[in-house]
Amino acid sequence: MICRNKKPSSSLSKNISNCYNADMKKKELTKEEVMHLAQLANLQLTEKETEDLQKKLSETLDYVENLQELKTENIIPTSQTTQLTDVFFKDGVQDKRILLPEDAVKNAKRKKDGYFEVNKIL
Amino acid sequence: MSLLGKSVTQLRKLIEAKELSKSELVDYFKKRIKKYNSSLNAYLTVNEKESEDKTGSLNGIPLAVKDNFCTKGLRTTASSKVLDKFIPPYESTVTQKLKEGGAIILGKTNMDAWAHGSSTETSDYGPTRNPWDVTRSPGGSSGGSSAAVSAYLAPAAIGSETAGSIRQPASWSGVVGLKPTYGRVSRYGVIAMGSSLDCPGPVTLTVEDAALILKLIAGKDPYDATSSPFPVKDYVEGLNENKKMTIGIPDEYFIGVDESVKSRISRCTGILEKMGHMIKKIKLIDPKYAISVYTIVQRAEVSSNLARYDGIRYGNDRTYFGEEAKRRIMLGAYTLSYGYYDAYYKKAQKVRTLIIEDFKKAFKQVDAIIGPTTPMTALKLGEWEKYPFFGEVMDVLNEPAAVAGIPAISVPAGLDKNGLPVGMQIMGNYFCEGTILNLAHQFEKETDFFGVVKKGLENCKD
Repeated sequence: MICRNKKPSSSLSKNISNCYNADMKKKELTKEEVMHLAQLANLQLTEKETEDLQKKLSETLDYVENLQELKTENIIPTSQTTQLTDVFFKDGVQDKRILLPEDAVKNAKRKKDGYFEVNKIL
Repeated sequence: MSLLGKSVTQLRKLIEAKELSKSELVDYFKKRIKKYNSSLNAYLTVNEKESEDKTGSLNGIPLAVKDNFCTKGLRTTASSKVLDKFIPPYESTVTQKLKEGGAIILGKTNMDAWAHGSSTETSDYGPTRNPWDVTRSPGGSSGGSSAAVSAYLAPAAIGSETAGSIRQPASWSGVVGLKPTYGRVSRYGVIAMGSSLDCPGPVTLTVEDAALILKLIAGKDPYDATSSPFPVKDYVEGLNENKKMTIGIPDEYFIGVDESVKSRISRCTGILEKMGHMIKKIKLIDPKYAISVYTIVQRAEVSSNLARYDGIRYGNDRTYFGEEAKRRIMLGAYTLSYGYYDAYYKKAQKVRTLIIEDFKKAFKQVDAIIGPTTPMTALKLGEWEKYPFFGEVMDVLNEPAAVAGIPAISVPAGLDKNGLPVGMQIMGNYFCEGTILNLAHQFEKETDFFGVVKKGLENCKD
């Protein structure tokens, strides 16, 4: 919990600690959940990192609970802020931004005959 | 002739009048970079093969560019070792437009790795130091860009903002920083952080320079479907109108703000009132909710955007990610997971609607909204660890405008009790960059930013 264990050292942290409700439920991620997420995100974590993330992710999830204080029934979620809808471009080849095969693979560490080389999947 | 502190606009005039050659000017900045960059770490890469064959509104003007803009043939790292040796095979739209406008890219500036941070300290290449006090942070994530401008290692720079990353470092470094409306400037070729939030924008010494650069880089881009077809105005021309405005001051933006920052902002609004503008108290949703919306939305988008770094097509593999990136990817993966999506992501996007509606209501009554840019001035390097949620807390006053997608500009508002620059931000309605630039320009003409920019230049003499 971000400010609960510490004495607020400035007006700012006082303000931030006010963001919490005393009766707010605490969200604790289990070690297994963190390891599962790491697997989904294709990240390798050390034992210490796993422990650290367990704590830090829980803190963040606790913090964002304050959104529950606001009523949002019948409110439409926003995913695009400037009201653009149905943006199309002309179908076909975009000559201007074509990458030559040698340019496309230039930054790859493993390549073969102008292709990216990857580990065998099947 | 001393060039120190000359604005882009002034340098252009000297070049046009042939009182200064383009190569002389580039050499001048190269010399300054050589002299000061080792102590500031503002630039990660200095461009050794700059060309100067184009002429346009930035004819011959050397600029610094944040290292998350892809520059064809010039190393681009986003300050992460994942992209340590990445040489982009294509050009971002912003740098393309700058080059077509005659600008010369001096080099690429340091930032928080992947723009995750507010102090430049999460950079895998070491922190940038604040020219005002090298034991302090210049802010972030565009800290390299703001330090480069503040120390005059470039007359202007390009930064990018997801929530505060232009305004906050501009404020801490005593310069001008403009975050345009979302979609006003193309994101094509900018290494993505939060795709529904990211906005490229200028960091400059004067408001006029910000207007000049915005005019060049703004506009619809066929390569970024979220860029807006809304017509681009002549922002420079628009500066000269002496508009009297109604300015909203929300109390919610002063809660928990350092006293010495608060008193500078009241002094500034007092000046604006004397200049004939009307000051009006308004109510806005408490910015603490914007922190939560931003935290959820940004991390969700981060987890998706950083999924592409697999080390196969370019860059190093995922073991090269730093702590902060891992933390954000993991939280994003969590909030987007089955069973949690509604509770977190969808809830955040709904509150985002409330914040947007709140701003729209406010802009029916006022032309601009003013508040401090940051709750406190530049912190010492390392101090960020004392603040849980450091980035979110430092950017608390920047997050509402960011999640809503409205434009805002930070300008110097004087110095605090420790002699460090304070920033004042002016927020405007969607695509009203002209309005906030106009007000900021009027304020600059009246106050000369209390000599802050000039004093900043004394930190790094010729």
